[in-house]
Amino acid sequence: MRKRVLAGFLILLSSLIWAPHAHCSSQRFKDEVGREVIVSFPPKKIVSLAPNITEILFSLGLDQEIVGVSIHCNFPEKANSKVRVGSYISLDFEKIVSLKPDLIIATGAGNTRDMVERLKRLGFPTYVIFPKNVDNVMQSVGHLSQLVGRENEGAEIIQDMRRRRERVVALTLGLPRPRVFLQIGEAPIVTVGKNSFADDLIRLAGGNNVAGNEKETYPRFGMEEILKRSPEVILISSMNPRGNYQKVLQEWSRWKTIPAVKHGQIYLIDSDLIDRPSPRIIEGLEEIARILHPERFKKQ
Amino acid sequence: MKILTLKKVLLISALLGLILILVMILSITMGSVKVGPYRSISILLQSILGLKGAGTETEKTIILSLRVPRALLAGLVGAGLSVSGAIFQALLRNPLADPYILGVSSGAAVGAIVAILMGLGTLSFGLPLASFIGGLLTIFIVFYFGRQEGRIHPNTLLLAGVIVSSFLSALIMFFLSVSQREELRTIVFWLMGDFSLSNYQAVRLIFPYLLFAFFLLYAHARQFNLILSGEESALQLGVNVERLKLISYLGASLMTAASVSMCGLIGFVGLIVPHSVRLIFGPDHRLLLPASAFVGASFLIASDTLGRTLFSPVELPVGVITAAFGGPFFIYLLRTRKVVKIL
Repeated sequence: MRKRVLAGFLILLSSLIWAPHAHCSSQRFKDEVGREVIVSFPPKKIVSLAPNITEILFSLGLDQEIVGVSIHCNFPEKANSKVRVGSYISLDFEKIVSLKPDLIIATGAGNTRDMVERLKRLGFPTYVIFPKNVDNVMQSVGHLSQLVGRENEGAEIIQDMRRRRERVVALTLGLPRPRVFLQIGEAPIVTVGKNSFADDLIRLAGGNNVAGNEKETYPRFGMEEILKRSPEVILISSMNPRGNYQKVLQEWSRWKTIPAVKHGQIYLIDSDLIDRPSPRIIEGLEEIARILHPERFKKQ
Repeated sequence: MKILTLKKVLLISALLGLILILVMILSITMGSVKVGPYRSISILLQSILGLKGAGTETEKTIILSLRVPRALLAGLVGAGLSVSGAIFQALLRNPLADPYILGVSSGAAVGAIVAILMGLGTLSFGLPLASFIGGLLTIFIVFYFGRQEGRIHPNTLLLAGVIVSSFLSALIMFFLSVSQREELRTIVFWLMGDFSLSNYQAVRLIFPYLLFAFFLLYAHARQFNLILSGEESALQLGVNVERLKLISYLGASLMTAASVSMCGLIGFVGLIVPHSVRLIFGPDHRLLLPASAFVGASFLIASDTLGRTLFSPVELPVGVITAAFGGPFFIYLLRTRKVVKIL
């Protein structure tokens, strides 16, 4: 209850901050890294610089307004027909200029500040989102929906995300929390630490990330350390669903003393669902929860 | 050896300058967005002459804010690295020498990485400044350890430089292993060299350093020629050898530090351009220095243009192009010219 009130208050507060200036077509926004952005409202030509931004924009129904996306944007299918404006690390500034966008949306987790400043100097309002956990994703959806004048669509998405998140949390409440090791890199073995999205997902899904105390976001782990922390479930994040899963599985099968290996609790999970801060992250959450607590999800 | 006249120096410089201008023009007409050569050139001329006319706002932005400053910066850096490479090869009397051999680049890299990790990259020119300071500090450290009894011995200096450089490389690897994914990307891009964020301010900032160092070095071109036939004979001919070595070391190092501070470590240019110029025009420094500057500028602009157009919209690091195209060309020169007159 208290949370609701707080949330309501925050929404009220934010609506005050982002209140439109009555008689002008351009609006002032504060982005998620504290920069001021003046946007002609509502924006008609939007360039997205990251896959999660593209997903959010499409889910808000901006199919027409999106004019450019990064080369990493592969979802939804419609994104593939948009003009490509380079990668996170190397933007194709010429392409962006030629698209004449009236809004560019960048991510604090990939695009550098120099790039953002450069885009601003070239005369393009650039809004930076920087979600750091699942709740932040909902906030980012809210911010972007205000930015582009699609508050209703945004509220719907947020409500759906919140409902599904609550359901997962409710279903796994009070259950024993298995120790989970999430592998995102093979050689060297890299896992997810305290500040990562996946860590948040594992916790919400009723698991215990064995690397959850690591300060580093993506710590490297030696085999000894993994043996010591003896995970009961191993999740392998994969960009390629079929990939070399067999090979990785074989690698693990050598370490029979790990409970997860002994009991065959090794699963593959689509990396786009767990490290991409978009509305689909809830799918990732449900997927992990199903893996960790299959008994609770069978009944449904 | 044929006698080098002033006329010949001027003539070849003018010719190479003309090639440089052509390469620059070619570079601003190419990019991921098609503007058309005639249109690009008229936009450029209009802005130089202060006229108004052809070209949409978009085209003007692409040409004037993106391509031109990028070509200018790449040209300056190419010239700076090539001239300092030529000087280091003469100073150390070693054909393997390049602008990075004495660790200036590693120092600049450590400076840049520290700036990235401390978040100084958010300040305008925080990163280039930190990297420049890192480079300068390294120059003094190497100089301090590289002298014996107040004199510069090429081999001692070389060893000191290589050792300081490997120590700094260890630091770089340490920083890389402890940095987060986002910082890591920035660092790796800096280490590979990148012109994508070039602007006029960067050009204005490094130009005076490069110009000063170039004229300082060029004023001693004749003395570099003498010292190559041995320090003893140079001394007998009235060259202040110690002073000359000091000036060449400081001048070339300053050039290197200023060049890499803006765009990161671009490899290969400083090694291959001076050698190519020597193979074609001979080892006389009065011609070698200006020719290296022009050829280096043209070569790096051309490489960067290829890097940003070959696989657009994704850019290749310019170092990939300099090595991939420069290497084979250099081998070709070595094979056809037969005699390797290194110094």
